[in-house]
Amino acid sequence: MSPLVTAQDLAIAGRLEPSSLELRAGELVGLVGPNGSGKTSLLHALAGIPPSTGNVRIAGQITKGMHPDHRQRLFTFLPASRDVVWPLKARDLISLALPRGADWAKVAERLDIGALLDRRMDRLSTGERSRVMIARALAPDPRLLLLDEPIANLDPLWQLLLLDELRRLAHDEDKALLVAIHDLRAAAEWSDRLILMSERQIRADAAPSALVASGLIEKVFGVELAGADLRLRLADRQSSP
Amino acid sequence: MSARTILALVGLVVLAFALSMALPWSSIDYLFRRDPVLARGLLVELRLPRALLALTYGAALGACGAAVQAIFANPLASPDLTGTTSGAALGAVVTAYLLELASPFALSLGSIAGATGALGLLLALSGPRAETSTLLLAGLAISALAGALTTLALALAPSPFAFYDAYEWLMGSLVDRSLAQAAFALVPAAVAILLLWRQVPALDSLALGEQSAEAIGYDIGRVRLWVVVLTAIGVGACVAICGAIGFVGLVAPVFARRLTGNRPGSAILPAALIGAALLLAADLAVRTAPLGRTLPIGVATAVLGAPFFLWLVTHMRWKLGP
Amino acid sequence: MRKLVALILLGVLAWPAPASAEHHVASVNLCTDELLLLLASPSQIASVSHLSQQPQETPFWRQARRYKSNDGTLLSVLQQRPDVVLTMGGRGHDRQRIAKRLGIRTVELPYPQTIDDVIASVRLVARTLDRPGAGEKVVASMVALKRTAPSRRLDALYLTGGGLSVSANGLAADWMRLAGLQQRSLRGDRVTLEQLLVAPPSVLLRSNYRSRQYSREQQWLAHPLASRAKARLTLQTDGRLWTCMGPSLVREIPRLRRMLQS
Repeated sequence: MSPLVTAQDLAIAGRLEPSSLELRAGELVGLVGPNGSGKTSLLHALAGIPPSTGNVRIAGQITKGMHPDHRQRLFTFLPASRDVVWPLKARDLISLALPRGADWAKVAERLDIGALLDRRMDRLSTGERSRVMIARALAPDPRLLLLDEPIANLDPLWQLLLLDELRRLAHDEDKALLVAIHDLRAAAEWSDRLILMSERQIRADAAPSALVASGLIEKVFGVELAGADLRLRLADRQSSP
Repeated sequence: MSARTILALVGLVVLAFALSMALPWSSIDYLFRRDPVLARGLLVELRLPRALLALTYGAALGACGAAVQAIFANPLASPDLTGTTSGAALGAVVTAYLLELASPFALSLGSIAGATGALGLLLALSGPRAETSTLLLAGLAISALAGALTTLALALAPSPFAFYDAYEWLMGSLVDRSLAQAAFALVPAAVAILLLWRQVPALDSLALGEQSAEAIGYDIGRVRLWVVVLTAIGVGACVAICGAIGFVGLVAPVFARRLTGNRPGSAILPAALIGAALLLAADLAVRTAPLGRTLPIGVATAVLGAPFFLWLVTHMRWKLGP
Repeated sequence: MRKLVALILLGVLAWPAPASAEHHVASVNLCTDELLLLLASPSQIASVSHLSQQPQETPFWRQARRYKSNDGTLLSVLQQRPDVVLTMGGRGHDRQRIAKRLGIRTVELPYPQTIDDVIASVRLVARTLDRPGAGEKVVASMVALKRTAPSRRLDALYLTGGGLSVSANGLAADWMRLAGLQQRSLRGDRVTLEQLLVAPPSVLLRSNYRSRQYSREQQWLAHPLASRAKARLTLQTDGRLWTCMGPSLVREIPRLRRMLQS
């Protein structure tokens, strides 16, 4: 089966070296790497946010220049920042620039934001705001989801609930997801595949077990692996370069 | 925002317009009985241009104010605080008094060029994602500079009357303009507002953040350019005829956003209606106030708008925290 | 030795003789410029103010440009070493004192409020210049105008930029009366467009002062209601003459009378 998403020569001057990748429907792909490795830039380039360059095809269609309504049914993007500029109500934020006819009642239910809908975004906690913004990313029912640190501001319960929902979206609704996650353990546990980045380049693209076995994680992160379940501890001072 | 609200706003504007034409009633009434042809002349040649200009200028300030606030993601960005109206006045003054090109067309072009320069300078100084303090400081600097240069240009102008005109250019005036002049303001402003309306979906999406808006598929760089150009045209054309009037571009969008649930783009058309009503009301107040002399309209808007501005700043401090 | 004496005698004879009865007069005010240029002989004029050399300010600018100019201050006048300085209005007390200490006499004319005041100013300047004859010639023409003033006067409005008019009791109104025009009394000496529409005068006396230069005042005059004002008769007048309302108006009044009669 041909991949849902093919991207070639994605690049951002000074932030991302030319990179290519493929994403398949039904796969939850975790995007990991140290700070400054280019995770956000790769997501930006896939989302077509200037000043990025490159070609992205989703379901055989080129995304550049597409009308917003059509484009959002193909993919949506969740930015890392949870800041809100205008004090909109949660319900109004989700409806912003939404394609006509998008029904997000189920999404709201799954993320349990029913009670938050009529409250103003600036009066919600960061975690609640995150869930509302994730709901906005899910609302157009896109084929591809590009999510930058979706579990960052959530409490432990909601981290698990969300990861579970993301996996369900991939496996049961046949979506493709590329999710940047800081937490290596969570990424390895929940992803079908891992893309490892460092120094503005993709270093590896493989199943979590293969990646762990390759020893690349220690090299990229500069920490030592202990045990198969990816526990980390600081390398000895003497052996550090 | 419901259709009922829009209808109510339109009704408000129509009422304010009608009152502008009718009041003071006594002189019109007396004239109609004595000589209807004369009364018609009074209405058409004097009161109509004035009411049209108040409507047009107010609508332009409201719509452009809302658009500029959406672009800068800041409720304090407005044509006067960003130095746009002062820049426009400077452009018009230099064109008319120093370059001695006084046709309405040349005046409008000069004014639009001045407005474009001011907005361009603001973007260069503060960037589109500036903090409030940076934006306000840059806007203040540009306003002050443009105001000072305007006064200087008038002082250096060949005609000795020019210096007394500074009052009108910097405080605005709708008095004794002809129907032709009103048309020169109305047409560009109407075109600008209509074209701004086309940017509403993109501007609304900006409330999700610039990156999200880009990901959704809007070319925010291009939208920003459109807003700058259209604001310069709409505001510039009005300043060329009436001078710089402040505060309406700040106040009208605030009320408009209340009606649209804080969606910044959808607020453009309601802001136009509210701005028109505000300026018509201010002009009415200035004309019917029993002061024995006419106040320039900029004074009326400043007296009403400045306290509102202060309230907005203090209100904003604890509402829009990180 | 004889050669030396001859040289010394030549030097003494060649030295410029003191201007015995001749005066050297500088004028630092536009209105006194007019009087000086009208009444003095060319050698008596030390300098005139720069305003009188500008075409937009006065019709006798060509004549004024034959002389040196000053910028209205005592300092700029000193170079020409006048013995009299002509000015108008009573503000320069310090200037008078300084001038006296430098040996310069200041003649300060009051602002004229009536035609008789203008006549008095003419006589005063003529006396200062030691040219009474020139003064009386000018006075005679003004007196003749007064004698032939028409008894029937038309309701009129003097109009310049921005709707500015003149007082119904001032010097301008006096001159207009000599032409057969009665200036209407206006609130604030200003007419509004509405007044022009509702109660147009019989005669509109329009000043063309600086009409080609842009200003909001001139734009006011371009409004349809001002340019098409339905006065029975609209007369154009040289606005420059009405700034000082001095004796140069003597030639303008008969012209206005002629136009009214036709």
